Amino acid sequence: MTSTTPPLIPTLESYLKLTQSREQAISSNMANVDTPGYHTQDINFQGELNKAIAGTLTESEYNGTAHLNPVVRDVPGLLERPDGNNVNLDREGLMMSETQLQYQIGIQLIKREFHQMLSAINGGGQS
Amino acid sequence: MNLFDSLAVSGSALSAERQRSEIIAANLANAETTHTSAGGPFHRREVVFQSAGASPFHLALASTTNANTPPSGSVSVSEVVDDPTPPVMRYEPSNPDANQDGYVAYPAINPAMEMVDLMGSVRAYQLNASAIAAAKQMIQQTIDILKS
Amino acid sequence: MSSAISSLGSIGNIGDLPKLSSMQPPSGDDEGFSGALKSALQQVNVLDSGADQQVGTLLKGGNTDMSSVMIAVEKADVAFQLMMQVRNKIVNAYQDIEKMQF
Repeated sequence: MTSTTPPLIPTLESYLKLTQSREQAISSNMANVDTPGYHTQDINFQGELNKAIAGTLTESEYNGTAHLNPVVRDVPGLLERPDGNNVNLDREGLMMSETQLQYQIGIQLIKREFHQMLSAINGGGQS
Repeated sequence: MNLFDSLAVSGSALSAERQRSEIIAANLANAETTHTSAGGPFHRREVVFQSAGASPFHLALASTTNANTPPSGSVSVSEVVDDPTPPVMRYEPSNPDANQDGYVAYPAINPAMEMVDLMGSVRAYQLNASAIAAAKQMIQQTIDILKS
Repeated sequence: MSSAISSLGSIGNIGDLPKLSSMQPPSGDDEGFSGALKSALQQVNVLDSGADQQVGTLLKGGNTDMSSVMIAVEKADVAFQLMMQVRNKIVNAYQDIEKMQF
């Protein structure tokens, strides 16, 4: 049963883990809104997700997401205030809501996958 | 690298912002204090924030050493400094704190500026409180995977 | 005639063929009920120990993220239920065969 489409559950696992990493970066940005010299941090979500999906095609699915370590880097193009801080409260608030919803989507999709499997195992074979 | 770390980071921000608003409140309360126990007028004080280990090197180091180091990104008040601005002199010869020229040294505190700082501190506090609520909701949903 | 009788006698020389008692059951890895049950058991084992390990790390406060742990636990649970169903089917099939009358 080989397939060239990425297996869904490991993909969703990576998706959830990347969403968590992004949430951590946003929390850190919000916490440091008044710290002089602090620069807004973020991860390249799409790039990391593509890398993770390519990785799951080759690795065994028993490894979990232990290999996933997204790179946190400075966000370019933000306005810097006189004390060196460039955290934009509105951007962080928006990103936080977006990330929360992303996480919810991931969780619901994974739950649905497991439910499907379980109903196939338990409910289908009543012959 | 988990959601509990982000709770710790937001919690540190709450604590730091609270300290900041306390200092600002003290400044506001003592805007007209001309005589302190240390002698001389009250000095305006400021907090200095510092971010813990935002560099990747710190990240790598913290993950290999003990688990008691604060997670990367947490904020702390590194020091409380006195404002070096010289005090404002007002001519009040009848005041017991007046010097020989009849001038009294008042603290160089502008209540409007302090209020703006206070509003900023409150807004940052609210933002981080909502960040904590968001992280808590995400953890709750993660637990829900196992439910039903 | 004697050649026919002697050829009958040579039938008795079946010492070359392996004895019935030493015959191995068909070693079909992916065929048959036993193969399916064995592979399901192995999968359950791997997933279960992996999930146990991750839960242990989480409880000790180690560097793991909760969603992975939850998903690993759920995977182990699904694999276990699959194995239980396979076992039930095998038991049912065996009982059906037992009921057969010749």
